[in-house]
Amino acid sequence: MSKVTVLFFGAAADQAGARQIEVPVGDRAKLAEIWPVLTDMHPGLAPLRDTLAFAVNGEYARMEDAVSAGDEVAVLPPVSGG
Amino acid sequence: MFRIVEKPIEVGAIVTEAFRPDCGAVATFVGTTRIDESSGASVKYLEYEAYRPMADRKLEEIGAEIRDRWEVGEVRIVHRLGRVDPGEPSVVIVVAAPRRGPAFEASRYAIERIKEIVPIWKREIWSDGYVWVGSQVDTRSPV
Repeated sequence: MSKVTVLFFGAAADQAGARQIEVPVGDRAKLAEIWPVLTDMHPGLAPLRDTLAFAVNGEYARMEDAVSAGDEVAVLPPVSGG
Repeated sequence: MFRIVEKPIEVGAIVTEAFRPDCGAVATFVGTTRIDESSGASVKYLEYEAYRPMADRKLEEIGAEIRDRWEVGEVRIVHRLGRVDPGEPSVVIVVAAPRRGPAFEASRYAIERIKEIVPIWKREIWSDGYVWVGSQVDTRSPV
């Protein structure tokens, strides 16, 4: 099975209890299909859903965007730099 | 010049290195860590983390956006990661421009965009736990 790497940051890393995991991804998958896999593995993430942004390979991505094997998906809480 | 660093920011050098003969205005914004207090507890320090290299690229994008919008000679942004003690600089923005209007406007724009698009997060380390700023996630004991 092909996999993507998922990185968690900030509050999302706390809620996931992990900073980096690998999850299986099918052919022609969309980012939206990754989310239920993440919450199954790490239920603590679920309440954050509406606050999160996502990146694929280092660029902001929408749920309908494609993800494929070897991609790096990042789970991004509201940024708070400065 | 866009840089993410893990040690104290040398503000003076970053400012003076932006001086140029074709620029008559150098606007500097320094963001420093502010300490809030509540219910007898206080913030001891802030701790920053980033998603790199995306964060580095987003700082460069902000620089490009500024050049699209204003006539500027130089844009410099330095953001610090890791532990930052109270009152210390966490971000420094320097914009050198021929005239003061664009210098002021662009430096304001830069800090607002950092808070919108750059994947950097801070948590407040309190005496009784920590709080992720901007997320409703914390480990402080309930009052």
